[in-house]
Amino acid sequence: MTNVVVDRLKLTGIGKSFGTLRALDGVEMSVRPGTVHGLLGENGAGKSTLLNILSGVFAPSSGHIEIDGVRVAGHGPKAARRAGIAMIHQELQHVPELSVAQNMFLGRPLIAGGVFVARRLQEQAAADALAPLDRSIDPSAPIRTLKVAQRQIVEIARAMMEDAKVLAMDEPTSSLTPAEFERLAILIADLAAKGVSVIYVSHKMDEVFRVCETATILRDGRKVADVIMKDTTESAVIARMVGRELAVAGHQSFVQGDIVLEVEGLTRATAVRDASLTLHRGEVLGISGLVGAGRTELLRLIAGVDQPDAGEIRVRGRRLPLGNPRTAIAAGLGLLPEERKREGIVARRPVSSNIALPSMRRFSRFGFMNRRAVARESLALMTDLNLRPLSIERPIGQFSGGNQQKAIIGRWIAAGAQILLFDEPTRGIDVGAKAEIYALIEKLASEGRSMIVVSSELPEILRVSDRVLVMREGRIAGVLERDEMSEEAIVALAVPQSAPRAASISRS
Amino acid sequence: MSTSNSTALNKVEKKFALPVGLRDAGTLLGLVVIVVVFSILSPNFLTEQNVLNILQQSSINACVALGMTLVIISGGIDLSVGPIAAISAVAVAVLMAAGVPIALAIPIALCFGMAAGGINGALVTFGGLQPFIVTLGTLSLYRAISLIYTGGNPIFGIPPAFRALTNSTIFGVPNPVVIVAVLAAIIWVVLNKTPLGEYFLAVGGNQEASRIAGVPVTRTKIASYVISGGLAAVAGLILVGRLGAADPTLGNLWELDAIAAAAIGGASLMGGKGSIVGTLLGAIILGSLRNGLTLMNVQAFYQLLATGLIILVAMLIDRATRGRE
Repeated sequence: MTNVVVDRLKLTGIGKSFGTLRALDGVEMSVRPGTVHGLLGENGAGKSTLLNILSGVFAPSSGHIEIDGVRVAGHGPKAARRAGIAMIHQELQHVPELSVAQNMFLGRPLIAGGVFVARRLQEQAAADALAPLDRSIDPSAPIRTLKVAQRQIVEIARAMMEDAKVLAMDEPTSSLTPAEFERLAILIADLAAKGVSVIYVSHKMDEVFRVCETATILRDGRKVADVIMKDTTESAVIARMVGRELAVAGHQSFVQGDIVLEVEGLTRATAVRDASLTLHRGEVLGISGLVGAGRTELLRLIAGVDQPDAGEIRVRGRRLPLGNPRTAIAAGLGLLPEERKREGIVARRPVSSNIALPSMRRFSRFGFMNRRAVARESLALMTDLNLRPLSIERPIGQFSGGNQQKAIIGRWIAAGAQILLFDEPTRGIDVGAKAEIYALIEKLASEGRSMIVVSSELPEILRVSDRVLVMREGRIAGVLERDEMSEEAIVALAVPQSAPRAASISRS
Repeated sequence: MSTSNSTALNKVEKKFALPVGLRDAGTLLGLVVIVVVFSILSPNFLTEQNVLNILQQSSINACVALGMTLVIISGGIDLSVGPIAAISAVAVAVLMAAGVPIALAIPIALCFGMAAGGINGALVTFGGLQPFIVTLGTLSLYRAISLIYTGGNPIFGIPPAFRALTNSTIFGVPNPVVIVAVLAAIIWVVLNKTPLGEYFLAVGGNQEASRIAGVPVTRTKIASYVISGGLAAVAGLILVGRLGAADPTLGNLWELDAIAAAAIGGASLMGGKGSIVGTLLGAIILGSLRNGLTLMNVQAFYQLLATGLIILVAMLIDRATRGRE
C-alpha cells in the first residue's frame, strides 16, 4: 500500500442554500492528479453554484474542499487561488484596453523600486508563460485585439503562472470553432500530463467524451453518479442528467385551428438563424434549448425589440413591420422579458402606471390621462391575477418577483395582447407563484390567447406546452408534438452532439 | 364588488398623494427655515415688497428649471439653456427692431428656442450621444451663434409695449411671476395628468423597459428638450423686457442654477424622479438666499459659498431621509 494516490481535489458534503432554495445538497466529488474530470448536468442542476464554491465566490453552507489532502483554509477567491484552484469563466473577464501582460498581472502587479509597475518584467514573465501554449500571442498587445480562443489561452497561461493545481473551465468552447476546440483539447491533455487536474464543464456531449476521463453528474443540486467515460455512452449520461420521469399531468390544451402568428426565416447575425414557426389560436408553444441557443433573441425579434437581418412575421396573415415594438404591440403582441428588473418594470413607478404603460392612448381622453380608469382597471386586473398587496399606487419595485411578473402579464392583458411572449416566466420566483403562473398561462390559453414560452426548466416546458420547439446554436433543431415530448427527446435535440444519437431519439 | 372596489380606491388615492407630497413638504420646510432665519436677521426680509422681489428674482431661474426638471426626469440633462435663452432674446429684439409686430416676434423667438431644443433632442436620440456631451457642445455652439450674429453687441431699441409686458403687475404681482406661475401649472398638468408626463417618468426610470412596453422613447426624449428650449426662450424674453436690451451673453451659467433648483426640489439626476412643485420651491430657496444675503450686505463671494453649501446640505438631507431605497 505504498502507492496510494491522494486525490488532487476532494469535495466532501458540499451544500449550498440561497434562502429557502437548496442549490446544492451533499455533493461529493474527487479528482485525481492529472485527470480531466467532467461536471455535467442540466441548466439549474447546480454546476455553476459548485464552480462558484470551488473558486471561492460563494462560501458553502456545509461541507469542505481538500487539495492534496489539505483542507482549503478560509473563504473567498483569494483563499481558493492560494490553495491552487484557478477558474476560467465562460464569459472571459478582461480589461479590453490593457495589454495581455497587464491583464495577466491584474490586481497583483510586479513592482520594481517599491512603486513602479515593472512592465518589462511582466511582459517577460507573460511571454514565458505563454510560450509553451501559443507563441503567436504578443504580451504587449491590447487584449481586445485577441480572438476569444487566444484570450482563453491567456487565461490558461495565467493559471499556469500561478501554479494552479486545479483548473476549472466553465463552458470553454461556447464561442470556439471546431478547429479551435481541437487545439484546446490538445492543450488540456498537455496540462493533465503535467499533473494539473482539469474540471471541464460543458453541455456538448461529444466534447466531454473526447476530453474527459471521468465525470460527475449533478441533478437538482445532488450528485447522481460518477462515471468513467470509456465505460459509458452519451445516451446513458443524458438519461442520468435528466433522470426522473416527470409528472406531465394536469396539462390542458386549448388549441384551436386558426394560425395567428407565422414567422419565416427570421435571422439576426449568428444568434438566430433562419427560424420559422407557426402559432395557433389558444396554443402554448414552448421553446427549449441550452442557454445561448438563441431563444431569448428569437423572442425579442418577434416582439420587435431587436431588428432582424432577414425574415418575415405575419400576424393573422398580415405582415408585421419588423424591429418596432410599437407596431408589434399594436398587432397584439406583448413581451414578458427575461430580465424583469432591467427590461420589464419601471421600478419606481406605481404598479398601475406599469400596467397602463402600453395602453396610454386607450386610457386618455382629449390628451389627458383618465387616472380613474387606470385605477379601476388596474385594481380589477390585480384582483383577477391575485396580485398582492392590492395597492395600485405602490411602486412596483417593492413587490415580490412573482407579483411583478403578474403585473407585467396584466399589462399585456390590459393592452389587449392576443399573443404573449413569455421569456423565463418563472425565473427567480418562488414555487407557489410558479404554480399560479402556470395556471394563469392555462387560463389565458382558454380565453383564446396564444403564447410562446421560453424556459430553461424542462419540467416547466413539459407542464405548459402544447408543442415544443427546440433550438440549438441559433437554429430550430426540431419541433416535438405533445405525445413526443419528454426530457430526453428535448435534451437530445438541444445538445450539439455526434451523429449516432439520432437513433435513440426516434426510439423515444 | 363595486363598493369594496371604491373603498379600496379611496384608500389608495389617499396613500398615493403621500410619497410625492412628502418630498415637497421637505423642500417647503427648508424654505421656511431659510425665511425664518433671514426674517430674524433682517427686518426688511419678510415685507410684502421684498417677498414680491424674491419671487420676481426667482422667476427666471424657475422658468428655466421647469424645463430642466422634465429633461432630468426623462433621464437627460440640458446644459445649453442659457445660450438658447440668448438666441431667443437676440431673435426677438432683432425682429422687433425690424418692425415685426410684438405678437408675431414673440412666437417666432419661442420657436427659435424650441428648435434649438429639438436639435439637442435629435442629437441625443438619433445621434445616440450622451445628453451631457450633446448639450455641452450646443452650449458653445448656440452661444457662438448669438455672439457672431450680433458681433457681441447688445441690441437696444426694445419697444416700450414689450417692456410693459414684463414690467407691469397683475393685482400687484409682477407679470414675470404670473407668467411663470401659469407655465408651472401647465407643466405640472403635463407631468401628472397626460400620457407624455407618464412617458417622461417611465423613460427616465427605465428606458429599455419603456421601449419594450411600447413607449415612444425617441419622441418622449425630444419633447423634453423642445419644452426645455421653449421655456429657456421664455426666460430669455422676460430678461429682455426687464433690461430693455438683448445681450448675446445673457444666460451665462443659467444651467447650473436650474439644475440646482431641480435637484433641491427632488429631481434625481439618474432620471425617473422629480417634482414641479419641488423645483419651484428650489428656485425660491435659491432666490431667497441671494436676496437675504444681499439685504445683509454680505459680499458676493460669500453668497456663492452659501449657495454651494445649500445645495450640498439639501442633497445630504435628501439622501439621509430617503435612507434605504
